[in-house]
Amino acid sequence: MDEETVRKVARVARLDLTDEEVSRYAADLEDILSTFEVLDEAPSTEDFNLDPVPVEDRLRDDEVLAYPDPARLRREMRTADGWVRGPRLT
Amino acid sequence: MKIGLEIHIQLPTRTKLFCSCSTAGDEVNSSVCPICLGFPGSRPMLNRRALEMGASIAKFLNCEITDKVWFSRKTYFYPDLAKNYQITQYETPLGRNGHFMVGDRRIGIWEAHIEEDPGRIKRAGRAGEEVALVDYNRSGVPLVEIVTAPDLTSPEEARAFLSDLLIELRHLVGLSPQDETTVRADGNISVGEERVEIKNINGLRNIERALKFEVKRQSRLLAAGKKIVRETRRFDEELGTTLPSREKEFEEDYGYIGEPDLGTFVIGPMARAMELPETPLARASRLEREHGVAAASARQMVLTSWELADMFEVLASRFGGETATTWTLGPLASHWKELQERHGDRLGSNVVPIIEQVRAGRITDAEARMRLDVLAGREAAPAATPAAEGDLEQLVARLVDSHPEVVKDYRTNPRAANFLIGQVMKETQGRYASKEVSDMIRKELEKRV
Amino acid sequence: MNGAELAAAVRRADGGHQVFAERLEDPIAYEGAHAFHFSAKDNLCSIDFQTRSGSRILEGYRPPFDATAIERLRKAGGLLIGKTNMDEFGFGSFSANSAIGVPRNPFDRERCCGGSSGGAAAAASLIEGHLAVGVSTGGSISCPASFCGVVGLTPTYGRVSRWGLIDYGTSLDKVGLLSASSAPIRRYLPVISGPDALDPTSQTQPPLDMSGGVDSVAVPEEMLADLSDDMRDAFQGAVGKLEGMGVEVRKVAMPALRYALPAYYILATAEASTNMARYCGMRYGDIVEDTDLGFNELFSSVRSRDLGSETKRRILLGTFCRMVGLRDRYYIKALQVRQLVIRQYEEVFRDADAVLTPTMPYVAPRFDEIEKMTALEAYHADILTVPPNLAGLPHISLPCAYIGGMPAGMQLVAPHWEEGRLLSLAERWENELQYRIPEGRA
Repeated sequence: MDEETVRKVARVARLDLTDEEVSRYAADLEDILSTFEVLDEAPSTEDFNLDPVPVEDRLRDDEVLAYPDPARLRREMRTADGWVRGPRLT
Repeated sequence: MKIGLEIHIQLPTRTKLFCSCSTAGDEVNSSVCPICLGFPGSRPMLNRRALEMGASIAKFLNCEITDKVWFSRKTYFYPDLAKNYQITQYETPLGRNGHFMVGDRRIGIWEAHIEEDPGRIKRAGRAGEEVALVDYNRSGVPLVEIVTAPDLTSPEEARAFLSDLLIELRHLVGLSPQDETTVRADGNISVGEERVEIKNINGLRNIERALKFEVKRQSRLLAAGKKIVRETRRFDEELGTTLPSREKEFEEDYGYIGEPDLGTFVIGPMARAMELPETPLARASRLEREHGVAAASARQMVLTSWELADMFEVLASRFGGETATTWTLGPLASHWKELQERHGDRLGSNVVPIIEQVRAGRITDAEARMRLDVLAGREAAPAATPAAEGDLEQLVARLVDSHPEVVKDYRTNPRAANFLIGQVMKETQGRYASKEVSDMIRKELEKRV
Repeated sequence: MNGAELAAAVRRADGGHQVFAERLEDPIAYEGAHAFHFSAKDNLCSIDFQTRSGSRILEGYRPPFDATAIERLRKAGGLLIGKTNMDEFGFGSFSANSAIGVPRNPFDRERCCGGSSGGAAAAASLIEGHLAVGVSTGGSISCPASFCGVVGLTPTYGRVSRWGLIDYGTSLDKVGLLSASSAPIRRYLPVISGPDALDPTSQTQPPLDMSGGVDSVAVPEEMLADLSDDMRDAFQGAVGKLEGMGVEVRKVAMPALRYALPAYYILATAEASTNMARYCGMRYGDIVEDTDLGFNELFSSVRSRDLGSETKRRILLGTFCRMVGLRDRYYIKALQVRQLVIRQYEEVFRDADAVLTPTMPYVAPRFDEIEKMTALEAYHADILTVPPNLAGLPHISLPCAYIGGMPAGMQLVAPHWEEGRLLSLAERWENELQYRIPEGRA
């Protein structure tokens, strides 16, 4: 986990890091990653799941249930004529 | 030239993919809830109908169905993406390795899967400084994504492919005709060696325009001895040109992980048990094969109306393909709407006897056509008053007088009268029943023989 | 306690130990009829308070809905008195990573409460008869329960609906309960448990069965290696008491547990890094409008300004582990390893009702000690709590000793869905050991 990798990962994750942070995190993550190497010893298996308990075939019927108060949700955001105001696109 | 498409089509479910908001929101940001807005603490619940529709599309496209599927998070940052990740299917599409026929060309389908749509952005402000205004009504609407192999060989073929695909899917899952404008695609085109991607083209017409422009652009570069840069471009609808993609230059690594909130779905048995209805173009193919109908005629039939094709099959089973085609594509097709409205289920039992008569030679084609016109509620001729008997006698007399050779012929060959009968029918535009005309002519001829 | 007494107890707890991010201020609010009082960790959405998850980025966010756990407790007659302090988004084991308030240990204000449900444990310890709702991802209920000398139950993953829980690790988060004794937990676990239409992962649970007990426990040898001497002695003492109660104690080998901590940190941070993506200053909380910056620059700027350093570290680690070319080695491998750990426990459960270890390798550290810890040392605090959390197994931390006046806990892990037997043992254990009350209470 060198500094260049940290900078790249930070860009992907939308985090602005100072040079000091880059260097500090690079050292931390290098240490942490080295403890992950033990996993290379663990056997691989085709059997894996996304959840620790089975969660299978949980489906919802296609029936409309309108949210009672969309205006309340819009109040959490900045809006203009009902449109949610977002940032500059360029 | 190789063209491949990644097509996104909205599925016509009542509710969104992961929440119970209606997919038919009208006022901006009115059909929203904490889930499709990605509020903290919200989580998705999969729409059963969307999964079934997706599976039926994958099966229809002759894909190998993935027995157990789950969903993935595709993380990237954009104002229209409520959670800054899209829930899609990365490791386990619903189906893989299928194909779709366009005429007699087989186009490979790499995969089909379902995913959620982001919201819709409206740009506001001065050019170069535009801000995003977002409507999240569209956020969470279910999409099917169909990825083709780069088997398409021209923009025209790509258009035909999409058009035919939509025709079939309309019947299969119930897309509306507006889907020609809401369908979206990314296109991958290589005229030479290098592949260029054009992202996010909206609507069938623009997809063809974008591909055509890009083909021209690449061809010109190659002709000038230049290299084509492998890049991602976008299509500008107003200019009608493709341009280098301007916005998403920031580092992006989608970093797919599974979506634990949804769990897994076993769709193999469900997909295998599905009985898919016959779709229009598939039906046209069958009509070609089974009744010897020409490809273009079969296509025209099924695209005019499903029930028209039903009528064809009824007639074909009794009278053979050729007769059925003539009558279905001719008089029946031209007044189909009126015929259906006036007779509904009884139409077949009203039409069949007329065709039977004409096939047995008891009435002429023209007579049959007239009777069909009557069935369709149209007057046989625009006469305001019924013709007087005397008019016909005069007309027949005049005609017989002007054709002495027929009179001569008639002495030995009674069928010579047919020519005159035809003439009278033509001139009187069906104002008289053919039997009446025939009797009158024979009477007149007999007088002179 | 009447309303006034409760209000006073809450004020005292908050004033002395910074328990609450936000709480009922008006004494009148405490007078309302209620069957019991409870608090909720500040990553559980609540209508009547801000919900900030210990972070600046959610400053001002007032959820339009209650978390299901909170809604069910209210319906059962509970009065929500406040939201408890925590590590930002759950990232930490000492609740020291809070941008709002760092809670102080009820037994020693110079020491931490543990984390990330530190405020919850402190509330349970300092307010008589209080039920605190906490959340565990890698041990965030057990750890503060151990450090603050209270009972902390982490149910099976999926037992309690996570609707309204601000996600850290989507396949790892569990809503649970802390209290000074096991009785309130036994009483209110059924209230918050049960399928919820809004959370698919809560829908495959069998009914909660409060019967069953613990007659035999297995102690994994590997897990006793990194303990402080005091902790090892205290734990042996607890083992002796259990044997005296008639519980059979056996040592076992659980070699797969050495993979648990790395697999946990990969999965938890990978999932967290995606859960955190939505916080970008646009739709709730700290909304920033700046028309000079493009959206990428704006998002980066808000996130960098508002998120703490541990949060950033985990986002970086988690993003890394799922990137192209790396995700097979890290993310996919961690998913596979989780199955290995689950199967390791299943083997042991064939011959024992529960697995027993100390909860933490040491008692609550001092704040100045925490300052000096490296990130890796801090992660290592979770060495004993992570295995059951990774496996989604229900577990309970019970006070089992006092070392230099500071509480130390023992942790029992049961098979999936068998919370009931843990609470039975907890009840019996309370006859063996009188839990100490901190001076801050009374």
